[in-house]
Amino acid sequence: MQFELKHIAYGLLTLFIVLNYGLILQGIMPKIAARVGRRYGIRWYQPYIDIIKNHAKRSKITHGVMYYLGPVFRLSGGIGLLMFMPVIFGSPIFGNFSFAGDLTLVLYFQFFGVLGMALGAGESGHPHSAIGVSRGLSQVTALELPLTLGVISIAMQYGTLRIADIVAAQQGGIMNWTIFTNPFAGAALMLSFLGSMGRAPFDVVLAPQEIPIGPPTEYHSGFLGVLQLNRAIFPVAKLILFMNLLYGGATSWPELFIKTFFIYLWSVFVGVAFPRFRVDQSVRWFLGVPLLFGIIAILLI
Amino acid sequence: MVNPIHIVSIALGVAFALGFLGKREKLALGVVYSALAAMIAISAGWLSHFWGNINEPIQIFTGGFKPPFAINLQMGLAESVFTLLINTVGLLGAIYLAKELLQAGKNMMIVFLVLVLGLNVMVMTRDLFNLFVFMEIQSIAIAGLVILNPDRKSIPAGFKYVIATGLISGLLLLGTVFIYYFGGTLNIDFISQESLLYVKGGSVAIFLVLLSIVLELKPFPANGWALDVYEGAHPGIGALISAASATAGIFVLDKLMVFGNFTFYNAISIIGAITFLASNLLGIKQENTRRLLGYSSVGQIGLIMTIIGLKPYLGENTKFIALAILVSHYLAKAGLFWLAGIVNADKLKDWGAIRGHRIYLFLMGTFIFTLVGFPPFPSFFGKWQLVMQLANNHHFWLLAIILLGSLFEGVYLFRWLGYAIKWDEVEQNYPKIKLNQFIPIAIFAVLTYALGFYFGELSGYKSTFIYIAAAFIAFLYIVDFLLVFIKNTLSIAAMGFYLYTNLSSYQSYYLIFLAIFVIGGIITLLAGYTFKGKRTGFYSLVMMMFAGLIGLLEARTTLEFFFAWELMTAGSYFLIIRGKKSMEHALSYILFSVGGAYLILSGFGIAQIGHAGMGLDILKDVHYYAPIAFTLMAIGFMTKLASIGLHIWLPGAHAEAEADVSPMVSAILLKAGVFGLVMLFLSMGPQKLFGIDVLYVLSWIGALTALMGNMMAAFQEDAKRLLAYSSIGFLGYALFGLSMMSHLGWLAALALVIMHFLFKALLFLAIGGVVMRTKTKYMYQMGGLIKKMPFTFISVLIGIIVIAGVPPLTGFGGKWIMYNAIMEKEWFFQAGIVFFAGVVAFLYCFRLIHTIFLGQLKDEHRKLKEAPFWMLFPQYIILIIVFVLSALPNSLLKPIGDILMPYFPAGALEWHGQLALSAYGYWNGKLIMVIVIGIFASVFAWLYIINRKAQKVGQFNIVYAAERPSRPETTHFAYNFFAPYRKALGFLVSPGITNFWDAVSDGAHAIADKVRSIYNGNGQTYLAHIIAYVVIIYVLINGGF
Repeated sequence: MQFELKHIAYGLLTLFIVLNYGLILQGIMPKIAARVGRRYGIRWYQPYIDIIKNHAKRSKITHGVMYYLGPVFRLSGGIGLLMFMPVIFGSPIFGNFSFAGDLTLVLYFQFFGVLGMALGAGESGHPHSAIGVSRGLSQVTALELPLTLGVISIAMQYGTLRIADIVAAQQGGIMNWTIFTNPFAGAALMLSFLGSMGRAPFDVVLAPQEIPIGPPTEYHSGFLGVLQLNRAIFPVAKLILFMNLLYGGATSWPELFIKTFFIYLWSVFVGVAFPRFRVDQSVRWFLGVPLLFGIIAILLI
Repeated sequence: MVNPIHIVSIALGVAFALGFLGKREKLALGVVYSALAAMIAISAGWLSHFWGNINEPIQIFTGGFKPPFAINLQMGLAESVFTLLINTVGLLGAIYLAKELLQAGKNMMIVFLVLVLGLNVMVMTRDLFNLFVFMEIQSIAIAGLVILNPDRKSIPAGFKYVIATGLISGLLLLGTVFIYYFGGTLNIDFISQESLLYVKGGSVAIFLVLLSIVLELKPFPANGWALDVYEGAHPGIGALISAASATAGIFVLDKLMVFGNFTFYNAISIIGAITFLASNLLGIKQENTRRLLGYSSVGQIGLIMTIIGLKPYLGENTKFIALAILVSHYLAKAGLFWLAGIVNADKLKDWGAIRGHRIYLFLMGTFIFTLVGFPPFPSFFGKWQLVMQLANNHHFWLLAIILLGSLFEGVYLFRWLGYAIKWDEVEQNYPKIKLNQFIPIAIFAVLTYALGFYFGELSGYKSTFIYIAAAFIAFLYIVDFLLVFIKNTLSIAAMGFYLYTNLSSYQSYYLIFLAIFVIGGIITLLAGYTFKGKRTGFYSLVMMMFAGLIGLLEARTTLEFFFAWELMTAGSYFLIIRGKKSMEHALSYILFSVGGAYLILSGFGIAQIGHAGMGLDILKDVHYYAPIAFTLMAIGFMTKLASIGLHIWLPGAHAEAEADVSPMVSAILLKAGVFGLVMLFLSMGPQKLFGIDVLYVLSWIGALTALMGNMMAAFQEDAKRLLAYSSIGFLGYALFGLSMMSHLGWLAALALVIMHFLFKALLFLAIGGVVMRTKTKYMYQMGGLIKKMPFTFISVLIGIIVIAGVPPLTGFGGKWIMYNAIMEKEWFFQAGIVFFAGVVAFLYCFRLIHTIFLGQLKDEHRKLKEAPFWMLFPQYIILIIVFVLSALPNSLLKPIGDILMPYFPAGALEWHGQLALSAYGYWNGKLIMVIVIGIFASVFAWLYIINRKAQKVGQFNIVYAAERPSRPETTHFAYNFFAPYRKALGFLVSPGITNFWDAVSDGAHAIADKVRSIYNGNGQTYLAHIIAYVVIIYVLINGGF
């Protein structure tokens, strides 16, 4: 497919839908987690208010060029990840720019945002940012191994790296979904998914409710607003990826909303039930059972 | 032609005449010099008579009768060569010892002349008893000369020499007497071995004669007395013993071997091989200069004995090989002993004093490389022929022993050279240049280069390029006094000229390596403009290394390839040892390199069995033991590649090198190993060793190397070590890709190799600039440098994005191709490790950039300047290349794909513009770049709109929860950056392999220590050794009494 200007318009449309969906998810999931803890939870539209508030703040400081660019990298990473994936199967409008690259592009592009963000956080000079980055990178490298093995297993199963073709092969009934036809790869992927969502037990990177740590430590006002926009978009993009790989993709927006909601819920369920791992524990954990599932998935191709 | 008898008459006559000169010592010395010069002239005259003509040797009759009733001397081609050798070192030795001879008086000069006389006659005589007499003369003369300067060591040494050689001569006499009894004649030509060997007594007699000659040549372990003599004697005399006396002894052995039968030949070769191996092993432990040279001498003579013993197998080649090695030994040993006399340092570690005069250091280096067998010296060609012939005869065990012995020799010789070049704790008593001592050494050095050229011609070595390069290197050495600016420009111009004139003759994968070696070389040389002053010695060494690299590409025969390989190794060794703390790392580097080179040499040897020529295409058609040859060569090349198990030399060598040497060795030199593997794999294809697919094993090695390298890199505190480990990791990918033997695998490997060159040069130059400014290598001592060195920051940023393989930059292309290659090949487990390694790379990438450029700026760095312009300029050239390749991946990958088509026609990528299609997926580099830039620009615009009034704040203006950050050192998180990761996975990087090699080295030292304790210094014990040796060898040869 060739690049045409209308693709930009369609991309913006996708982005708009996903952004709103993401913001709403960001409101609902904490509410669910709170209800589990017998609390009331925030308002479902709180993320909207947060973003508007952050953008409206008057005090804005910067520590340097890289610091300024950090959120730009982050949000570009999130938007890019979304743009490089076909969102709605069979739809020319919502296929985005997936004709630029296949599954490997999507897998590697997520690091674009991570890297840029880490650099931005580093320039602030705050040691907690750096500690958070070190933890985050350690965890990410560990979870990538079962993820890679699972992806290879799926790619070999369908004989292709094109996401659209993988989705196409899963059409025609629930039992065609990869999670059922290749359960071990699915298990490896879903366990890696837990790590990449950054909820408990893998939330030591940001260590919420404990200490201000991690890349966002020094970010505020407009910067934080941009980061929060990303926090809406990036997880949804990842959810869409997993949905495409394991759950048969989506042929319409409602189907997408439902499927991604339940995939997200999986990480929330695990998160509310488990305490936090230390970094070395999570590294070792990923190289234990998830890796085993990945290896079995490869052996069973 | 002067009658050769005049060699004898002149020496004898002058010796007697000296008695008439009274106290006129200087005149006496002059007369001695004239006599020796006349003897040289006679020998040289005969040499020119026999050279190139097939003239029969002439017989000189004495006493008026013909043999066997009188003694006759023979002068043939061999005799003329050997007498010339003896007389030359005699004259030069006498010049060297001028002061000592003058001091000792004309009696000593007489003894000196008598020694040379005795050696000459030993060579020329055809009569056994005459031989005995002159051997006695030689022994007594040496004994006299040993105590030239009487001191605590030389007198006992002289005494031990006397009693040992007395016993040996006694054995010779005994044998001679019984040969006369059983054979009826004393003339060598008339003794028929058959009649003698039928009789029991006759065979014992022959045995005694031959073994006494062998004992004169100091075999292990009956050579304790010899080592004490070498240690105790004046070095000038040591030179004579080693060069002249041993030379004559070798000739005598060869002369008398006509008596021996096949068993004797085998015995001699085994004795020689054991001597060579044992002496060099024992030399490892040695710390005394002269004793070390003694071990080396004994070892080399053992090697030559082996060659003589192999005459039945080597046939026509025996002369060439033996002479090449003998001449190298002769020149180098004499040279080194003479240098030892000048430097006057008993302990090896004190040899740093030689640095007082660079020329002496150059001479020492020349001789040491001659001994080890590096090109362009004669020993290189001798060893080459020896290996080829041993392989042809399937003598693989002997080949292994000889190469192992050579490696041991390399250990102590290079360690010694390292002390001389680098060791700092030395008293500054530099030797002065005395002309009479300098000239002999210089002459021998010139001779070793000249003879190296000559032996090369005889070997059929022809390389116009190397000759031109050698001339250019010599030229650079001569103009070393010029400024860096001029020499650098000359070097760059030379490389550019080579590229311009030769580009059209390059094709296929040679083009890729040409680009890396030559264009890459020019780019890294640009950084050399940073240095001010003269940078003495640097440019000839750099050009030596690049000459070797280009020589690899130009090589059309295995000999040319190996020559270039060793040349490259030598040049890079000298470059690496220039680093401030490089002494032990350079030693480690050269030992691993030499070991790997010997494996390659063995592989070439096995490959050429049954072939007439030595072109590189013999690799395509290996007749015997192909898998073994393949494995040996692969391991040899992998040593250069620093694959896991063979990698411990790399981090130290690359990290401690100078700022512009590191990019050269890490980005460019390692690719020589890749070139070797490419050539090997394409020529020989997949091989099965004992039923195991070698390439499969290599794929695992590559994957594990990638993981190990990247993980070790993540844990380093030293920036340059981090980059060095990163190189190890990346070359693991390359090995993995190559072992796939598929189109996509090779595309990935070669693309990664080029990318590795680009970003490694980029990063080493950048970090080199940082280290130059901050004067520290440790990352936790840096920090916040983005404000001071923004251009360097950008270089490093791009570099690490390329390593990480993050789109849109070019690193991603390599990863995409690798994914497809693996899916095609179905090597999933290795793939998992490789991709895991790829992700681990993020760790060190981030650590590198964060701990140096981000975080907190230290107080002492507040006034830091940006890196020098000439360090930045090559970095930005590379940056431009990286951007072009990222936007237009077609420009790199399509040509490589085309190059690979003839070898791997199946599985290529389909290109539609910048869109690449494979069987599994697709990738459009340019489109991705455009989209990413578009999104980035939009988001940036958005952020700018909302935040354009952002206020820049000071360094410590951070959220710190009501505390105040006190100092940058306590606020910059950099030390032990990945502590939890290390806690979780640190067991993977425990130094098992380092411990292994340490254990090997310690084991060798321990064995050497234990074995050398037989040399207890007691002369009587040495006599017992000799007698026991005779008995044991007799029993072993004859299987009983």
